Amino acid sequence: MSEETKVIIGLEIHAYLGTESKLFCSCPTNATMPNTACCPICLGHPGSKPVLNEKAVELGTKVGLALNCTINQDFFFSRKTYFYPDMAMNYQITQYEVPLAQKGIVVLPSGKKVRIRRAHLEWDPAALVHPNGMGKSSYVLIDYNRSGLPLIEIVTEPDLVSPAEAREFMNTLENILNYLHVLRPDTTLKVDCNISINGGNRTEIKNVSGYAAAEKALSFELARQKQELKNRKTIEQHTRAFNADTGMTVELRKKETEDDYGYIFDPDLVKVSLSKDYLEKIKSRMPELPEQKAQRLIKEFGFSNYDARVLCSDFNLGKLFDEMVSRKANALLSARILTRELLAVLNHDALSFNDVIVKPDDLVELVVLIEQGKVSDKNAKQSMINYISGDKSAPSAYLQKNNLLISARINLDEVIAKVIASNGKAVSDYKAGNEKSLNFLAGLVMRETKGTASPQKVQEVLKQKLS
Amino acid sequence: MKREETIAFFVEQAKKDFSIVEKNLAGIIQEIKLCEEKKLNYIEEFDEQDVSKQLAELKKSFQAKDSKYFGKLFGVPVTVKDAICVKGIESKAGSKILQGYKPLFDATVIERARAEGAIILAKTTQDEFGFGTFATNTEKVPKNPFDNERSCGGSSGGAAGFTAFTKNYHLAIGESTGGSIACPASFCGAIGLTPTYGLVSRYGLIDYANSLDKIGSVAKNPEDAALLLEVISGHDEKDSTSLAQRFVKDDATIKRIAIVKDFFDNCDEEVKKVVQKKIKELKKFYEVEEISLPLNAKYALSAYYIIATSEASTNLAKLSGLRYGVQGNVEGKHFDEYFSEIRSKEFSAEAKRRIILGTFARMSGYRDAYYLKAMRVRTKLINEFNSAFKRYDLLLNPTMPVLAPKFEEIEKLSPMQNYAMDLCTVPANLAGLPHISVNAGFSRGLPVGLMAIAPHLQEKRLYSFAKVIEA
Repeated sequence: MSEETKVIIGLEIHAYLGTESKLFCSCPTNATMPNTACCPICLGHPGSKPVLNEKAVELGTKVGLALNCTINQDFFFSRKTYFYPDMAMNYQITQYEVPLAQKGIVVLPSGKKVRIRRAHLEWDPAALVHPNGMGKSSYVLIDYNRSGLPLIEIVTEPDLVSPAEAREFMNTLENILNYLHVLRPDTTLKVDCNISINGGNRTEIKNVSGYAAAEKALSFELARQKQELKNRKTIEQHTRAFNADTGMTVELRKKETEDDYGYIFDPDLVKVSLSKDYLEKIKSRMPELPEQKAQRLIKEFGFSNYDARVLCSDFNLGKLFDEMVSRKANALLSARILTRELLAVLNHDALSFNDVIVKPDDLVELVVLIEQGKVSDKNAKQSMINYISGDKSAPSAYLQKNNLLISARINLDEVIAKVIASNGKAVSDYKAGNEKSLNFLAGLVMRETKGTASPQKVQEVLKQKLS
Repeated sequence: MKREETIAFFVEQAKKDFSIVEKNLAGIIQEIKLCEEKKLNYIEEFDEQDVSKQLAELKKSFQAKDSKYFGKLFGVPVTVKDAICVKGIESKAGSKILQGYKPLFDATVIERARAEGAIILAKTTQDEFGFGTFATNTEKVPKNPFDNERSCGGSSGGAAGFTAFTKNYHLAIGESTGGSIACPASFCGAIGLTPTYGLVSRYGLIDYANSLDKIGSVAKNPEDAALLLEVISGHDEKDSTSLAQRFVKDDATIKRIAIVKDFFDNCDEEVKKVVQKKIKELKKFYEVEEISLPLNAKYALSAYYIIATSEASTNLAKLSGLRYGVQGNVEGKHFDEYFSEIRSKEFSAEAKRRIILGTFARMSGYRDAYYLKAMRVRTKLINEFNSAFKRYDLLLNPTMPVLAPKFEEIEKLSPMQNYAMDLCTVPANLAGLPHISVNAGFSRGLPVGLMAIAPHLQEKRLYSFAKVIEA
């Protein structure tokens, strides 16, 4: 089989919306002790009735708009019936025929457009707790704190062509959601991954936690399907589970067809009608999204497309930049510190921005030192490495402590004067037009200052003295 | 109707002399015990201690003259259909599978009745989950007070049976999905008032079919039925389908009335005769004409049974022996196996029939042809009613096509014959229209009900009309 494998991937991503109360009752969403945030509604007690949390609709609408979807002004909820011990009512309240939002587009950094089929609201089942691990426990506990938490399910069209591209999409999506401030803090997004190759049947890998795992699951499944075809086996449509420990997918069950869920309109809830005014109000209150912010940075500060996009690729990174600028730090130098120095250290140590504590004031101090020519690039870099992976002291404190600051201009002047006085030949060469001699002289100055001087500054002062 | 027979009169007297409350309650408790002795089966659950506690609290209200003392139902014993949740009192909708379920909360209607000074007396018997026309689909089958060999009607059979049985002041909260208030009211000679869908909160009602369920009143006279509706109606933020309006007892002018010929034609002769006689008397007060509702006559029953069972089959999914109700031995069983075991054992044959019917109607490949089509048909049937109401203030038909049948006759009915008994009550219920069943007279000593249907939110027409009939 020499021809290239054609891969088709579609994703269903479940994200918790950051409301204070659950989707259909007033139980809080932030409880930690098991079964302390539940009521007759999210326990499914006979006689109780759900009432829709309007905040969830607002957050869901924002998601729809940010994904360039059409918002359905009239929508309703349905019952998806299946028996499972984590389902308080043995049906899930979700949206079927008419979702809150549909037909959207997400543009990846590569420029590729991924179509969004729909985004709908639904409530989460309870959590099943296996005390000794899955398949190793003689009993299972149910935590109803999770029952009824508001989820938004975002479904893509099968537009993704590789596990890596799927990852790229998930990162882009998560970034948009972070910019929107709609997610519940400290929760992992869950992904159902659909993949097929060469026009064959698709398999669905259910409930994968997190993007890195989703990419791994897809890569494994892609290799597995290729192997199956190589062995001349046909792939049947079915559902698989991903084991994060082994990195493998295993068959879960033959896929039931969608309609076996026996959807009916949930007759306990009424049709929701969003007025034009309501939608306009939400549109007018939409925060700046990554793409808009990148355009703004390019326009406002003359950033390169690359710098602008890198700064906006993570909400908190972009926020840090804003905070530095608002403290009057030089924008170009701030961007450089973040996109070059900081990200280089993070990449090197395989850390994510959200794993580390970075204070804007610390970085602003560094930017000011660079701007004043009091620190060399090399030492600036060193101070950032120490800040992230060393003793984590502020860059300025680190530089001070290790005598890496060019303490005053006078010292540099003295060093330069000394170098000029004792290198007559190079000086006259330069004056005769040999540019290389300037570099030679600058090198001597750098050596004398133990690298604390800024090379640009040294060149600048040398030129001044020799003119 | 004499004024002395009304609840309003009783409440007035009770506020002057608390012993009237005590005497009435003692009398009605005696009756409950008598019912038990005679196995009349009107009462599903009665907690005497809880009732004594309520009485003691009410006495304090009497002395303190607090808000309950000024309530519209001060000292009135109220029985409640088993499907309506009463905090701490077993509420199982007539089903074995919910044995032991003691709700953590009061239904909104119970809260409202309590706030007006009512005593929540007991739970009344019913068909399991409301699945039936004769209150026979349950363990405790109520017997018609006019003839113990016969059915009270259903599904709110205990409510109507006890209302007819008691000699004391009392109100009954019933519930109708396809006719479960009107039918037993008719068979027991009581007043059954079913409001517009959404006028009374369903919060705390153990669902049969949520888009059809309506809590209403069963009483001895129209004044009492209307009073209870006044108390329990009105917006409730805990029920999304609850309307903004509330019912206020008020008279309405009624000029033109139409008899629905299609429903009338399908009734037994002895029923027709009583109803016809009554209608003749009505011509003194109103213009009476005949009308046909062909779509409703042809499609209402089918659409109703598809929608009701589709919704019911999802409502009952939660009853699986987990968390509340009956529990079984889970040891060594897959959850599917355990759920099936409990459900097979504890649901009645009728509940199973409706679960299977409803699951079928909404499953892949049949959903469009049954469930979705029935939903569209429902809209057409509502429209047919609405156009009739452009010309008429009220529509009339016999409540039930037959006299209260004997239990042995009921046993011989096929499920289809059984469902067909709901012919006259189902259309108004499917359309969410308010309706009332009033006694039109007797045949062979058995009561015959006349049913009036009003446009949405025109309950006051039913109240005014019922007063004329009873006069």
